[in-house]
Amino acid sequence: MSAGDGIRVASLDDIPQGEGIAVDKSVTGTDDDIALLRDTDDTVYALNDTCTHETASLAEGWVEDGYVECPLHSSRFCLKSGEVQGLPATRDTCPHRVEVRDGEVYLFPGETP
Amino acid sequence: MSERVVIVGGGVAGVSTAGALRAGGFDGDLTLVDAGEFPYDRPPLSKDFLAGTQDIKQIALKPQQWYDDQRVRLMNRTTVSALRPADGAVELVDGALLPADRVVLATGGGAARPPIPGAHSDRVHVLRTAKDADRLREALGSGARVLVVGAGLIGAEAASTAVRLGCEVVLADPVAVPLAAAIGAELADWLHGLHHRAGITTLHTGVDGFTDRPGGIEARFTDAGEPAAEPQVFDAVLLGVGMVPRTEIAQSAGLRVEGGIVVDERQLTSHPAVLAVGDPARTRRDGVLLPRTEHWEAAQHDGARAAATLLGTTPPPATAPWFWTDRHDRHVEAVGHMASAELTVVRGSYDDPAFAVFGLRDGHVVAAASVDDPMAVRAARRMIDRQVAVRAGPLADPSVNLRSLLRG
Ligand SMILES: Cc1cc2nc3c(=O)[nH]c(=O)nc-3n(C[C@H](O)[C@H](O)[C@H](O)COP(=O)(O)OP(=O)(O)OC[C@H]3O[C@@H](n4cnc5c(N)ncnc54)[C@H](O)[C@@H]3O)c2cc1C
Repeated sequence: MSAGDGIRVASLDDIPQGEGIAVDKSVTGTDDDIALLRDTDDTVYALNDTCTHETASLAEGWVEDGYVECPLHSSRFCLKSGEVQGLPATRDTCPHRVEVRDGEVYLFPGETP
Repeated sequence: MSERVVIVGGGVAGVSTAGALRAGGFDGDLTLVDAGEFPYDRPPLSKDFLAGTQDIKQIALKPQQWYDDQRVRLMNRTTVSALRPADGAVELVDGALLPADRVVLATGGGAARPPIPGAHSDRVHVLRTAKDADRLREALGSGARVLVVGAGLIGAEAASTAVRLGCEVVLADPVAVPLAAAIGAELADWLHGLHHRAGITTLHTGVDGFTDRPGGIEARFTDAGEPAAEPQVFDAVLLGVGMVPRTEIAQSAGLRVEGGIVVDERQLTSHPAVLAVGDPARTRRDGVLLPRTEHWEAAQHDGARAAATLLGTTPPPATAPWFWTDRHDRHVEAVGHMASAELTVVRGSYDDPAFAVFGLRDGHVVAAASVDDPMAVRAARRMIDRQVAVRAGPLADPSVNLRSLLRG
C-alpha cells in the first residue's frame, strides 16, 4: 500500500468510544507507539502514546470532549493539537493525521493533522 | 485589575496560579518568589526521585523557558520575610521591598517534627524537599536497617522505595489501619498488608524516643494497646508524620490563621489584597472551617481559583477531591469522601491485578478508590461531579463499562 493511503491500523469498532488503543511503533515506524483515541463524538485522533510526563500510555487514558487525560497523574492533552493543558506534564505531545474510511482507521505517522 | 501580583512560593500551587493568571489574560507584572533553587514537584520525592531513577531536572515543575514565555519573573533562592499590604509590597529577607498590589501566599509547609526525645539526631530524617530526599537516599544503601515512623502516604511510599533499594525496613504507626478514612477500612487494611508481603515489618506502635549508639540509633516504641516492641537499633529513621503549614508571614501580618491560613471559597484571606493557595490554605465555607487538603491536585485547583478571583472571572467548577499514591508497584487513586458512604461495593476482587471500591449513598457514588484501575476512579469522579444516579450491581460488575453508567 502506498504511504499516500495511510497505514490501516484498526477498525473503528476496535476502539470503544471514550477510549483508545496503542499501535506499536514497529507498525508506525515512529519513535514512540501511537495512541488512537476515539472521542465522545466518535472522531478518532492519534497522538504519541507515551505521556510527556513519565511513562504512562495515553491509550489507557480517559477520552472526552476533545481531550485525553493521562491514566497516571491526570495531565490533559488536546486531541487535535497534542497541546498539554495542565501539570504535571509540561511538554506538548505530537499529533498524527488519521482518517476513517468505511469503518477502517488509517494512520499517517508523522503527518500533521 | 491589579497591576502587580507577587506569588510567594513556587510549589505546584504557586506555579499553577501563575499559569492560570496568564492563561486567563492577566497582563500585569507577575513575580514568583521561591526559597528553593527552582520550582520542582514533590510527589516524586518519595518515589522515583528517592530511588535515584529521576534527577532534579526531571522533576522541575516547568522548563525554564516557560517562565520567560509566560512573562513570569522567577526569583529563586529568595525568601519573603514579611507582608506589607499597607505599603503595597512584600519584604524580602535582605530587607528589599517588592511592590505588590495583590499577594498570593503559596508557602506550602514543612515536615512535622514532633518533639520525640533524641529526634534531633543526624540519623533521623524527614521528607519534604529535594535536599531531604538526597540525604535520605544516601542512608538507604542495600542492607541498611531503616525505621519509618508513620504509615500514611509519604511514610508508606518511602518504605516501599527503601525496601526496593534493598533496605531492611520496619514501618511503625500507632494507627492500626492508616488511610482508612480516605479509602475505607477494608481497602486500607489490604493496602497496609502489601508492606508485609513486600518484606517490611509493620509495627502497630508509636515511638517514644531515640538514642544514638555506636553504629546506629536506638528507637524505643510505645505500646498501642499491645505489648511494646523491644527497642531496636537502626541505621536511619524517617519521620513521616505529617506536615506543618507554613503560616508565619500570614500570622505576623495579622491575617486570620487557624490551623492554616483561613480563606474563603475564592481563596481570599482575611485581608482583601492577600490570597492563599495550596497546602497552607484552609477554607471556611458557610462559617465552617474545613480540614486542609494536603494533596497535589487540590493545590493546582486552588491556583486556578485564585487566578479567577484576581481576574474577576468565573472560577472553574469544583470537583471531588482526588489523589494518587504509588507503593510496591501498585498505583492507587482515590476520589471523594469514603467516610460519608453508607454502602461500599468492590468491582473485581482484592486478588485481581486491578480492582476498585465504590462508596455509595442514596443511590449516588460519593467516593471511589482503585488499585491499578485508574479509569474506575476517573469514571467515579465524573459520577460524583455530575450527580449521576447509579446502582450497586452494575458498578460491581467488571464486565459493565463504567462509561455507559455515566450516560445514565
Ligand atoms: C514526599 C511527598 C510525596 C507526595 N506525594 C503525593 C502524591 O503521591 N499524591 C498527591 O496527591 N500528593 C502528594 N504529595 C503532596 C503534594 O506534593 C503537596 O500537596 C503539594 O506539594 C502542595 O503544593 P504547595 O504549592 O501548596 O506547597 P509546596 O510544594 O510545599 O511549595 C511551597 C513552596 O513555597 C516556598 N516558600 C515557602 N515560604 C516561602 C517564603 N516565605 N518565601 C519564598 N518561598 C517560600 C517553599 O520553598 C516551596 O518551594 C506529596 C508530598 C510530599 C512531600
